[in-house]
Amino acid sequence: MSEDILDQARALFFAEAREMCEQIESSLLQLEEDPADRELLNALFRAAHTIKGSAGLFGLDAVVGFTHHVENSLDRLREGLISLDISFTSLLFECSDHIKLMLRDAESARDGAAPDPSVEQASGGLVVRLAPFTGASAVAQSPAVAAAAAGAGEALTDNKNWHLSLRFGKDTFRDGFDPLAIINYLATLGEVMSVRVLTEPIPAFDALDPESCHLGFEISLQTSASKEQIESAFDLVRESCTVRIIPPDRRVADIVALIESSGNGAAHLGDILVDSGAITRHELEQALATQNAVPAGDTTRVLLGEMLVKERIAPATAVDAALTQQTRNRDAKTEEARFVRVRSDKLDELINLVGELVIASAGTTIQAQKTRDSALVESTLSMGRLIEEIRNGALSLRMVPIGETFAKFKRVVRDVAGELAKEVSLEIIGAETELDKSVVEHIGDPLMHLVRNALDHGMETPDEREAAGKPRCGRVVLSACHDSGGILIKIEDDGRGIRRDKVLAKAIEKGLVAPGATPADSEIDNLIFEAGFSTADKVTNLSGRGVGMDVVRRNIEGLRGAVRIQSVTGGGTTVSIRLPLTLAIIDGFLVRVGDCSFVIPLSHVIECIDGATALTGAANETTGMLALRDAALPVVHLNRMFGIKAESSLRQSVVVVRNGTEKAGLVVDHLLGEFQTVIKPLGKMFRNVRGIAGSTILGSGEVGLILDIGSLTEIARAQADAHEHQRGSASSSQRGADHANA
Amino acid sequence: MAKTILVVDDSASFRQVVALTLKGAGYDVVEAGDGKDALTKLDGRKIHLIISDVNMPNMDGIAFLKQVKLHPNYKFTPVVMLTTEGQDAKKNEGREAGAKAWIVKPFMPPQVLDAVAKLVLP
Repeated sequence: MSEDILDQARALFFAEAREMCEQIESSLLQLEEDPADRELLNALFRAAHTIKGSAGLFGLDAVVGFTHHVENSLDRLREGLISLDISFTSLLFECSDHIKLMLRDAESARDGAAPDPSVEQASGGLVVRLAPFTGASAVAQSPAVAAAAAGAGEALTDNKNWHLSLRFGKDTFRDGFDPLAIINYLATLGEVMSVRVLTEPIPAFDALDPESCHLGFEISLQTSASKEQIESAFDLVRESCTVRIIPPDRRVADIVALIESSGNGAAHLGDILVDSGAITRHELEQALATQNAVPAGDTTRVLLGEMLVKERIAPATAVDAALTQQTRNRDAKTEEARFVRVRSDKLDELINLVGELVIASAGTTIQAQKTRDSALVESTLSMGRLIEEIRNGALSLRMVPIGETFAKFKRVVRDVAGELAKEVSLEIIGAETELDKSVVEHIGDPLMHLVRNALDHGMETPDEREAAGKPRCGRVVLSACHDSGGILIKIEDDGRGIRRDKVLAKAIEKGLVAPGATPADSEIDNLIFEAGFSTADKVTNLSGRGVGMDVVRRNIEGLRGAVRIQSVTGGGTTVSIRLPLTLAIIDGFLVRVGDCSFVIPLSHVIECIDGATALTGAANETTGMLALRDAALPVVHLNRMFGIKAESSLRQSVVVVRNGTEKAGLVVDHLLGEFQTVIKPLGKMFRNVRGIAGSTILGSGEVGLILDIGSLTEIARAQADAHEHQRGSASSSQRGADHANA
Repeated sequence: MAKTILVVDDSASFRQVVALTLKGAGYDVVEAGDGKDALTKLDGRKIHLIISDVNMPNMDGIAFLKQVKLHPNYKFTPVVMLTTEGQDAKKNEGREAGAKAWIVKPFMPPQVLDAVAKLVLP
């Protein structure tokens, strides 16, 4: 029953409210004739008041909320606090229309239906525009209004038109600009639906400077132009005019849809917004400048997205969509976009083929040179250059930074130091140094041994360190760098260094050094790489089993690398590992001995001496000495070493090679020059031949042997030592004889 | 009545292109070869817009602009300066002299028309 009464009353209310709206409009029209008519002003106020009052009765909260603001402004008008000008009048007409729209919606929606969000937004927009007339800031009013203002990007628009807020600077006229010209220009982009001039900033007449500009405009523009195009209207007046361009609802929806569907891969929020047309490049630059005015890290620094929304430069929904897209991009970037995952065997196949190509190219060059056709030589050379670039590119595909391998030692050092009750910090240098992936895979274990050794043997306990005048916390440095065509990895510690007396005693005990011999310090240090050698007083579970250093050396030599150790008693130990950048291809130096070709890795070659004659040594010995610039250089006769019948030529040549700090000369018959080559492993039968590291196929199709410089310099050095000690060391000559038989 | 635009540039061919473009759009055009020439041609007559190059013999664009701004008739006349890329120092100098609108050379005739339309409609 009561429902019925309410229904009837509702119908009456709607009719009455519409009447009130008519009254507002007629009063406004009459007030235009006679703005001071108090009766009309009162009637105007009463009409709004009545609508508000009755709407509350029927639970039409939206109508109540909105009419409240209209009533407030009319109250102030009635009190004479504000005057009725054209802009205010037209705004009130719009408000009246809007109330009628809300009433119609409410009437058709009946109970339970959700209010139309676009109507609510329009309310918000009008409330904001009413704010100057209600004497309060729009935002600080009721929560409903605050919410409307928060979504101002949408709320300010009347749904289908662009909204432009222009504030011209005082010097606009003096700068030669005419706001009217710009509005006229806007009209060429579309239809200017309404222009409202902001009169509040205009000073009283006696204070008015007619040459200064006090104008502000609120413009509603219907156009299909983009935000960028609209902004371009203000290109020339940027410095004199503050511009806010708010897109229509439909545009906002379009922008959001565009951001969501575009798959824009940009990493920056601003770029996504600019690309979608939500903001212009210029707006972005200004916002960034404002943001950057506050130093990074300052708590008052606002996020770009927040600022764009707050300053009403970009609609909140568009910023949200762009933020989501940005997060998506960030995730995708780190995982996929920056990497292509390729099976490593495919890569190996490619590198192998490139290697063959390098060989074939070298062969072609040689053939071309034989023809003495300079044009042909030229073209093969340029092809060779390109192939070399392809080779470098292909090899770089396999290159990975060593940092990842290094990084895991942080944990190792922490844990091991804890177990040993020592204080150790690890420093990593050159983590970005790149080397072949297969080298990286194989270097992990040797490094682990060396780092553990440094902690276990090298590093003293904190108390011992303090007693020695060192900081309690020990330091281990892992470093990597590129060094003459290879990579140099160092493990340095500032521990006690190698105790040479102990090492020497042990070596004599093991029969590695003849009793009474006095090897050089560096030789003693490197004894610890011998098999079965350990000086640790007791075997810990970390090291001291006497297999570590021996295995380390073999692993590294297996990678065509070399390991050296340097130590300062009481000052620390440095282990240096020199490794080739890649295992697949080397730059070699081709030499000939008899009818055999040998390749010396170019990174080891220091110099070549053509036709050296000042050789010493018996005619049948593998090794000898060469006087090179007043210094004695141990040499190896390759023909004797490998049992090759040498050419009868008297002019033999020497290639001076270096392995770490050791130097040696290799006596050969002919020097053939630089040569790029792919390393092919030796067959099982030849794997143990001393002095040979691998094989390769020469351009002529012949097999060339790649020399193992590490073992050859060792042979030469053993010989030199033997000379030094006037053949006093039995073990050295013993070793020399071994090599000769190898 | 058509609006009048003063085009100041030492390149005759450039002036011709700009003048023809503007005339085609319905503006009246007065041409001058440098700042000094321009001041003589102005002589107090009604001008709605000035387009001026910066680098010119006799009197350059900046000096010309300073002179023009002193004249009561041209106090509020919009001035568009033409500049080549990367003359930021010149721009700042011009800004102090009162040049707020800049067009960067090289540009196409439609760009000139577009820029002019933002300041003065034909």
